[in-house]
Amino acid sequence: MSLTETAQVQSGRRGLFSRRLVADAALLAVAVCAFFLFPYDLAFLTRILIMMILVLSLDLVLGYGGIATLGQAAMYGTGAYAAGLFAIHVWADPVAGLLVGALAGAAIAFLSALVVMRAHGLTLLMLTIAAAQILQEIANKARPVTGGADGLRGIRMEPLFGSLKFDFIGQTGYWYALGVLCVVFAVLKVITASPFGLSVRGIKASPARMTAIGTSVYWRLVVLYTIGGAVAGIAGALAAQITSLVSLEAYSFSLSAEALIMLILGGTGRLYGAILGAAIFMVVHHTAASVDPFNWLFVIGAMVLAVVFFVPSGLLGLKDVVRSLARRVS
Amino acid sequence: MNSLLKAAGAALALSVIGTGLSFADTIKVGVIAPFSGPFAIYGKQYKEAIAVYVDQHGTKAGDHDIEFIYKDVGGPNPDNSRSLAQELLIREQVDYLAGFTFTPNALAVAPLIDQSETPTVIFNAATSAINKQSEFYVRTSYTLWQVSAPMAEWAYDQGIRTVATTVADYGPGIDAEKAFAAAFEAKGGKVVDAIRMPLATTDFTPFIQRIRDEAPDALFAFLPGGPPTFGFTKTYNENGLAEAGIKFLGTAETEEVNLQALGDAAIGLTTAYHYSGAHDSELNAAFTSRLSEMFPDAIANWASVGAYDGTHLIYEMVAAAGSDGPAAIEVAKGLEWESPRGPLKMDPETRTVIQNVYIREVERDPASGLLVNREKGVIATVGDLGWNP
Amino acid sequence: MSLLLNIAVDGIAYGMILFMIAVGLSVTMGLMRVINLAHGGFALIGGVTMHGLLASAGMAYGIAVVLSVAFTMVLALPLERLLYRRIYRFGELQQVLATIGITFLIIATVNVLFGSSLLAIPLPKSLSVSVDLGFRTLPLHRLLVIGVGFLVILGLYGLLERTRFGIRLRASVDNRNAAATLGINTGHVYAITFCLGAGLAALGGILGAELLPIDAYYPLRYMVLFLIVVAVGGMGSITGSFFAAIGLGLLETASRYLVPDFGTIFFFACVMALLAVRPNGLLGRA
Repeated sequence: MSLTETAQVQSGRRGLFSRRLVADAALLAVAVCAFFLFPYDLAFLTRILIMMILVLSLDLVLGYGGIATLGQAAMYGTGAYAAGLFAIHVWADPVAGLLVGALAGAAIAFLSALVVMRAHGLTLLMLTIAAAQILQEIANKARPVTGGADGLRGIRMEPLFGSLKFDFIGQTGYWYALGVLCVVFAVLKVITASPFGLSVRGIKASPARMTAIGTSVYWRLVVLYTIGGAVAGIAGALAAQITSLVSLEAYSFSLSAEALIMLILGGTGRLYGAILGAAIFMVVHHTAASVDPFNWLFVIGAMVLAVVFFVPSGLLGLKDVVRSLARRVS
Repeated sequence: MNSLLKAAGAALALSVIGTGLSFADTIKVGVIAPFSGPFAIYGKQYKEAIAVYVDQHGTKAGDHDIEFIYKDVGGPNPDNSRSLAQELLIREQVDYLAGFTFTPNALAVAPLIDQSETPTVIFNAATSAINKQSEFYVRTSYTLWQVSAPMAEWAYDQGIRTVATTVADYGPGIDAEKAFAAAFEAKGGKVVDAIRMPLATTDFTPFIQRIRDEAPDALFAFLPGGPPTFGFTKTYNENGLAEAGIKFLGTAETEEVNLQALGDAAIGLTTAYHYSGAHDSELNAAFTSRLSEMFPDAIANWASVGAYDGTHLIYEMVAAAGSDGPAAIEVAKGLEWESPRGPLKMDPETRTVIQNVYIREVERDPASGLLVNREKGVIATVGDLGWNP
Repeated sequence: MSLLLNIAVDGIAYGMILFMIAVGLSVTMGLMRVINLAHGGFALIGGVTMHGLLASAGMAYGIAVVLSVAFTMVLALPLERLLYRRIYRFGELQQVLATIGITFLIIATVNVLFGSSLLAIPLPKSLSVSVDLGFRTLPLHRLLVIGVGFLVILGLYGLLERTRFGIRLRASVDNRNAAATLGINTGHVYAITFCLGAGLAALGGILGAELLPIDAYYPLRYMVLFLIVVAVGGMGSITGSFFAAIGLGLLETASRYLVPDFGTIFFFACVMALLAVRPNGLLGRA
């Protein structure tokens, strides 16, 4: 893992930014084409975009910072409820709602990070799960505010930028989510390439060494987790605005777990892995569930096992595997 | 098909070649339900009941052919529910929606069906407030008030004066608790304790012990189906509450799909509910026997009958109004029919069926050796009491 | 006073069930250091086998328990040889993904064979009675679980601390290469230990089924619960898991007697507080 990462950092340093930009443009082109190729599936495509943002947030904390969490839903759910409540009671502007979601996600992430970042491994995993479970139960108990298990209803979003109405087919929703994804992706690229991002990678590779050269490991991780929380909050807020309803499932363990599966599937520590993993998982799930819902778990289980056994570094590593196979054949 | 959707469809047809616009004489019904995951049983029950209805009544309603399209929502997931509804309305051009097991899933489609004027038949989701969110909801299941309040009144009439309520601590549980308490206290009974149990509870002994110490005449319980109900009834029995004279009162706890798994612990449990698989009527016998002919391992329960009656309602609406949504809702209002569960009438105000609520007790059927909900009494024609609580 | 006694009795009885369902995991994950999210899958296999033996074959309860546990262990062996042997060498995240994949496949298989409704494991008449403790009654089944729980902890302690196999196991886990050079067949040691973990999972699934009933989605539904017990107990410590299970059982039971409305929040807040103070768990080795 760390070897490929160093190689990556080096190649990134060596002015291969232009090639990366080509990749970004290609991804964007795919997203734009998808809009025209699958006009009936915009709602589903929008869900994929939102999921990508959530998985990106997980990639930031796990792939770059090495924080193995199973509680990313804590921030996603908080962002969703915050944005929903803000739209109902204060202002139904979508962009303002996103900011509120990001702030709420960041706040929860910061508070929990103060405790969670002192732990490692399984303990850290459990702490993140516990935080999400507590928040879910609070949302359940605060029924007069959140609607409890029935869901938070009554979210009616104003038009985007005051003019673009959220339409029935979901065209506005798609462009909106794609725009947010692009901004998040760009910001995360900058962050991960910044000195802060590099120091965080250093922490992942060797916390002891980073402490030795005078880095405050704990606070770096708290900041990283908070940024990740803001991004997850944005994803939750987006979901709340698109669906116009927030349910307790926004906090569910299975959401955190699915995001983790998507990330490992795509490949950690590379933002493209999050994009790819979310897309592949959601599409396979959607297709398998519509062909044979009763048995789709077979498909997902087999896919997950195949990836982990044959392409252990995630689907992004597929090209390396193919290359090494080709080399072996020749 | 209303104008907005037509416009949307036309706009899409321009951008995509080979758009499948629906034929004028085929009415499509989109069924959104869980067909995978821990709640897959609901989808299975719906699909089987619809198949039985279609088998008995043909694929034509009036002059129209009816086609059902199934979508798997996986579980409580409003994001997915809404996106599936969009897909059904835009791509499949469905004229009716149906299914909906969980309240958030049903609520998530409210803005859509308002815009597209699509009649939406709820087979299960039992929160009263859903139908207030859109004029286009009609419900063939029940609401929690509808069964909890009659249970309270019946209990009082049987001489039960003190009750402890124990409900799972989430929306439906709290609805049931409030409905029971309101009806029981209105009669003059006393609720001595109202316990709300965390949803994640696996060991119910502490709650059961507490009730045992309080020694009320009965306890009223509401739990989600499956493991929680299993654990609760088991604990109720093991700690000898029945022998201590504390009667078990409930609603959906003894539903047929998981009833056999409860085992002998279930015998004697008393519930108020709108459907028992053992309901004694010709229609029910026809329904259950056809069901087990077509699907040998199928068991009829409230989910099946909700879907069966929902399908009947859709057939009636289609026959009279075709694809005209608002007209179809008008047809549904006040409609009366005979169902496997007994006589039904669609309340024009609440758009939930008015129906009999039966008081049942679990027994072992001497003929089959299986546990059944034996009807002991009936409270005729109850509407949605939770509409204006 | 009777309240305290009630909390103690029910808490220990519940804690023992927690211990029984999690002890298999504290062997595979705690000792062998493989993030085995498929633990619940093996409990499910045990429970389903038990259900099948009781329901269709009408076998006696005791014999069925032995056969179900044995069957699960036999099934675990090829899985270990084919899959787990390679999973041990994976990174943590790959282990998560791999064992989740195995869990999905187990669930899907049970789902196809038995459907997704509850699978009953009826107790024999002799076990479904209650015992009078003087101030209250307790179901005999709970006493049985308490007894078996003590046997398991004693047996494991003896096996790990007092036998040659235990020494080999600890050596293999601590430093596999060094152990191998000393002539220990670490492959065999791992295989046996893994099967032991699977067998314990099956036993826990069967004995715990009175509270955590068996159905296809069992492994996912209770995954968090298993993990909590092992995390609070501390990795690598069976005794730690034991005390953690009893402690959590008492804690949860007390919260249900005293603050039923806020039980879940109270429970998880306590778990968080404890893990914040002792990041390696009660008896965990760093």
